[in-house]
Amino acid sequence: MHVTAYFALLAAMMLCLAGAVAALAGLWQREYGRLALIEKGHLLATAAVVLSSAILTVALWRRDFSFVYVAEYTDTLLPLFYTLTAFWAGQAGSLLFWMLVIALCGVCFALSPAYKSLSLPTRHAYWMFFLTVEAFFLLLLTGPTNPFLEAVPPVPEGRGLNPLLRNPGMIFHPPLLFLGYAGFTIPACLALAAWLCGERASFAAAARNTTILSWIFLTAGILLGGWWSYMELGWGGYWAWDPVENASLIPWLVGTAFLHTSIVERRTKALAKTNVALAVVTFVTCILGTYLVRSGVVESLHAFGEGGVGGPLLLFMLFTLVVLAAVLVAGAPYFTDRVKPLAGLMSVPGFLVILAWLMLALSAVVFLGTLWPVISKLWSANPVGLDAGFYNRVCLPLFALVTALVAFCPLLSWSEGVRDKAGLGVAVGAFVGGGVVLYGLGLHLPVALFAGAASVAAMATVGYVFLRQRHARSRAGALGAYCVHLGLALVTLGVAFSGPYQINQEAVLMPGRTMEVGGFTLTYKDLELEQNKAVAISRAVIDVSKNGQPVGVLTPERRIYTGFEQPFAEVSTIPSLGDELYATLINSTEKKAASLKVSVNPLINWIWIGGTLMCLAPFFSLRRLRAKAE
Amino acid sequence: MYLVALALFLGGFGYLLYSGLGENTSYFLNVSEALAMPPKELSKARLFGTVAENGLNRPEDALGVSFTLIDKDQANKTIRVDFRGVVPDTFKPGVEVIVEGGVNPASGAFAANTLMTKCPSKYQKENRG
Repeated sequence: MHVTAYFALLAAMMLCLAGAVAALAGLWQREYGRLALIEKGHLLATAAVVLSSAILTVALWRRDFSFVYVAEYTDTLLPLFYTLTAFWAGQAGSLLFWMLVIALCGVCFALSPAYKSLSLPTRHAYWMFFLTVEAFFLLLLTGPTNPFLEAVPPVPEGRGLNPLLRNPGMIFHPPLLFLGYAGFTIPACLALAAWLCGERASFAAAARNTTILSWIFLTAGILLGGWWSYMELGWGGYWAWDPVENASLIPWLVGTAFLHTSIVERRTKALAKTNVALAVVTFVTCILGTYLVRSGVVESLHAFGEGGVGGPLLLFMLFTLVVLAAVLVAGAPYFTDRVKPLAGLMSVPGFLVILAWLMLALSAVVFLGTLWPVISKLWSANPVGLDAGFYNRVCLPLFALVTALVAFCPLLSWSEGVRDKAGLGVAVGAFVGGGVVLYGLGLHLPVALFAGAASVAAMATVGYVFLRQRHARSRAGALGAYCVHLGLALVTLGVAFSGPYQINQEAVLMPGRTMEVGGFTLTYKDLELEQNKAVAISRAVIDVSKNGQPVGVLTPERRIYTGFEQPFAEVSTIPSLGDELYATLINSTEKKAASLKVSVNPLINWIWIGGTLMCLAPFFSLRRLRAKAE
Repeated sequence: MYLVALALFLGGFGYLLYSGLGENTSYFLNVSEALAMPPKELSKARLFGTVAENGLNRPEDALGVSFTLIDKDQANKTIRVDFRGVVPDTFKPGVEVIVEGGVNPASGAFAANTLMTKCPSKYQKENRG
């Protein structure tokens, strides 16, 4: 089976290479008769990738430890659900998953009306780029990071899945990210193809749905990662600006910039070149994320270890950027008289451009910050790194500005000036009023206060537009966008409060003793012990009350899983839309002394609520490409 | 119009970046590198090293621990670390840790306000420095 799966990947790579060459030849000779053959070749390659993925899945299901990959990430005690999802627990498997999703996205896109609307040369160029990307991934999978290595001699028992990953949040976090990463391949290839061939219609229209879907998955993946970090890692936060987190944020930032500038192009035919560049850069940053995580260039708390893919990934990124530059030059003559100028700054396009700047600036900060230990070696003998305070100081004001843009942008016109004076009054009023109220509630830090006021204004604007303007309700695209922005406003509010106003306290308690945290009284009752074959649990039982009224019981746990020396913390919370109480059991002794870390997180759940809205609302915005607008 | 806005934007952005780079940087060092630097430059640093077998001093019922941190490669290079706070229970002699804080000029010991043990994740196939 190992050999079959491996050769299926090898065959897929050959098919992709052959297809890319055929597409190139077709373009070169202006002879477009082989398109159907190329499409069939891609289908066949996809089938081969599906076959090898199926073999890996079956091996996981049967816990066939003759596969090195299966033995590395599962054992016989692991529940079936986690065994199957160990597919993407390691590097080789996650790259295979990524490849699988790219291939399936390619198949779906080839069936869509958007693909059918493209001219024949553009379709050839599209396949040339797309199949090259696929061939690259298959090269990685058949070379440095092969998921189908055979264990010789076979091992009797696997090493088991890292307990930190045994959480639904972590199970769905990686595949969502990969769905997003993979999805962004299509806009990038379309952008290059359309520009190279001087496609009449904007590629942004053809790529619209894939872009939105990829954005949804990427957003959901990042959100779930934050939630997992909060619920599973037990340090009381959801975002630590660790290189691994930054790696997924950079594509999101660039992708968000692209999503918005592509709206400008679809509506006003401006920014065509910018969009080609942004679409491709988004794709490159997806690879960059993997590079940062896998290559070991930066020291992270949870480095993933060098897997031999760093070099190829770096080369591929550089290659893609060179291709982008070449294509931009080659295609430019087609577009000299087609691109319309951008409207003034005080207009919807103007604000969308500012948003793109903000997003690009943010991604530059995150990129530079992550690589700072490497960059600083240029002038400093010892590497200099940046702490979370750096990112918070630089990024949070920019995010606050983004929320302010969201509050005022819907009230501007597409050409120039304010479209809705009354709405502007509502937004400004909400901004000032919200600011005063939040200040009264204790939000005194300038950036947090500005962000909070901006998010109140954004909510007011969305509400106002929704009530007053029929187009916001009737047109599906606008409805989705307004709901996403409402979600963003909620997230901003949650971050503005839960970030700076989190209360943290650590204490060592004996049973019967109490501690006070942010107005809550916590009484440590007892330490319960529980043991079964897979895990040993110690659980602290803590009664919580506020002003004499019982609020609930916290039961943070420490678990020691069979096969792992270290204990893992299971967080316990008392969920609330206001102050959420959060406790971790850090240590316990035989005399039942418990080291506890307790925090009060104000409004934190609004981040998850707003974030969920941001992931669901864009589905309203998906729509079929209208058949040939001209 | 766009140019003015861009200039304003870049100005503000540059200021933020500059102030952030001024105040929020710290050295990322191995123990041997830290020992090679004058202590007064080490008011803010993040050290990587391994916890020594000897010299571990941990009070029974209070928070915190004092220990000797050894360089990952050169076992003769060591620094004393005083940490106040909840000690993670993955902490024990022989594990790789990351400490954040600064050198106390009076005692020469490293006063840490953060102590992290490196994640022993399965993702990490080999121990890199």
